[in-house]
Amino acid sequence: MVLFVLLLLPILLLLLYFIVRPRPLTIPIKNRHVFITGGSIGIGLAIAKQAASEGARISLLARSLDKLEEAKQSIRQAYQVDVAIFAADVRDYDAVQSAIKEAGPIDVLVVNHGVYVIQELENQGLDVVKFMIDVNLTGSFNVIKAALPLMKDRKDKWPASIALMSSMAGQVGIYGYAAYSATKFGLRGLAESLQQEVIEDNIHVSIIFPPVTETPGIDEARKNMPELSKIIVGSGVMKAEEIGKITVDGIKCGSFSIPCNFLGQTFAIATAGVSPQRSFLMASLEVVFAGLFRFGGLLFQWNLYGIIEKWHAQKKQ
Amino acid sequence: MLLFPLVLFPFLLLLLYFIVRPRPVNIPIKNRHVFITGGSSGIGLALAHQAASQGARVSLLARSLSKLEEAKQSIRLSSGVDVSIFAADVRDYYAVQKAINDAGPIDVLVVNQGVFVPQELEKQGLEEVKFMIDVNLMGSFNVIKAVLPLMKERKDRGPTSIALMSSQAGQVGVYGYTAYSASKFGLRGLAEALQQEVIADNIHVTLIFPPDTDTPGFEQESKVRPELTTILAGSSGSMKADKVAKKALDGIKSGSFIVPCNFEGQMLAIATAGLSPQRSFLMAFFEVAFIGICRLVALFFQWNWYGSIEQWHAKKKEK
Repeated sequence: MVLFVLLLLPILLLLLYFIVRPRPLTIPIKNRHVFITGGSIGIGLAIAKQAASEGARISLLARSLDKLEEAKQSIRQAYQVDVAIFAADVRDYDAVQSAIKEAGPIDVLVVNHGVYVIQELENQGLDVVKFMIDVNLTGSFNVIKAALPLMKDRKDKWPASIALMSSMAGQVGIYGYAAYSATKFGLRGLAESLQQEVIEDNIHVSIIFPPVTETPGIDEARKNMPELSKIIVGSGVMKAEEIGKITVDGIKCGSFSIPCNFLGQTFAIATAGVSPQRSFLMASLEVVFAGLFRFGGLLFQWNLYGIIEKWHAQKKQ
Repeated sequence: MLLFPLVLFPFLLLLLYFIVRPRPVNIPIKNRHVFITGGSSGIGLALAHQAASQGARVSLLARSLSKLEEAKQSIRLSSGVDVSIFAADVRDYYAVQKAINDAGPIDVLVVNQGVFVPQELEKQGLEEVKFMIDVNLMGSFNVIKAVLPLMKERKDRGPTSIALMSSQAGQVGVYGYTAYSASKFGLRGLAEALQQEVIADNIHVTLIFPPDTDTPGFEQESKVRPELTTILAGSSGSMKADKVAKKALDGIKSGSFIVPCNFEGQMLAIATAGLSPQRSFLMAFFEVAFIGICRLVALFFQWNWYGSIEQWHAKKKEK
């Protein structure tokens, strides 16, 4: 039995080495143009700093000109590079298009902007639901649509990247996250389809799945989060700088799915589904361990629904 | 050596029998109120026919009053049952809320409305993208939000259902479907979160994943589909609306979270089981046992698809 497995494994690895599509590649960022939406604070700013430290030319898009100026200052102080800043709301296609035209041809588009308001759907206003869908999902379509024509027509035929900031809430839906998870799951449908549409133009799609990250937005969200959501999600956070580095590394590898910690990696394997995988090693891990991680997923649900049941029982008392 | 799996499997089955959450449930529809959005044609209408013939009280919501009248007629002719009809656009919350209040307390909500316009994002107008997101995703939020309060306060505490019509394009993104897949993937995020929020009220969430289905909507879509989408989507077959409706209804009655409609759909469901709930310990066992193989098959599909995409572009360049 052990022999069987020992024989099977190299065959699997070899098979996957030839099968995996799209092919692996490296996307350089030094001296290339990285355009980041939601780039004035949080993860977006961290990505900007990381990319700036690696010699990329940076453009930031966000709503607030003040925050953009602060971001520009802070990057200049740390890395002595000047970033271009553009104030626009991603819900306004014309403003986005104008900013992108002004910024010039983009090599790495990081669609990172996002808003989150965590609340039971029963208690959440539909205007808030609409807000999240408009910014996180429709806004991403606006940005990509504005950037695509120039990206397709770029002169240097090096590989380009479109990276989408999802979330672990885009791998599993959680109590209180109906609207937010809907938008983040949606990004994956967009990404899987988009990759098939742009592969011919040497454009490579990545989705990043960070856990809860220490950003300015998080304190606000935590204040109003339902207690049950807090219990389920826990209190662990990652630093924005860590996410920034992991994101840039993942983009440079052209990885389709970019998890940010060990739990995220297990989630990524469990939810690999029918998504592309360029790394034959990662593909082998997925094939070999998907079953184990699905089992883990079922244990996760068992724990989750147990917590929910207990919480409701306590409330009744 | 063979003993190992023979011992492991029953042990795994037993373990899963105790682990699976939420617990299995049966949701009766006879004499209960089934409310179907997008119920005047296609899959929605087929669902209405079958629910009516199984003794449910049926309400249909759709945009066109004339199509609703036709649907009402056709159900009366085939099963002698009278359905209630409500004309509203799911994008209009107040119209939806009014219809739902008029219809009365709902036991089985089938959020089935959907629009689809396949096209490369580069070529597609943003109004069409917005249309699909507004109807398929935001519209579903509108409907659920309107129904939830009444469902939570219902007098008979029997199990009720909120069923969402997704698509195989909600399990895997395909060339030409950026906006459609985005809206359908979104339904899953909504469903996974919602189930946790409503389980305490004995409300059970179901997602249905049909392949291409023979409906008036599909006929329209086929006319404008990019060639490459047809080539790639051909990997899964197509189904008749009444077969899809039967699978959907059976799935709703067993409270299944994920309801595939054909064999390819079942493989897709296992491959994409991810972190979704599974009430059936048998199904859970199949998922754990076969998700690895299904992932391998999925990687083959990617190899095949990207090969087709490459070939298609190469041919186009020659011309």
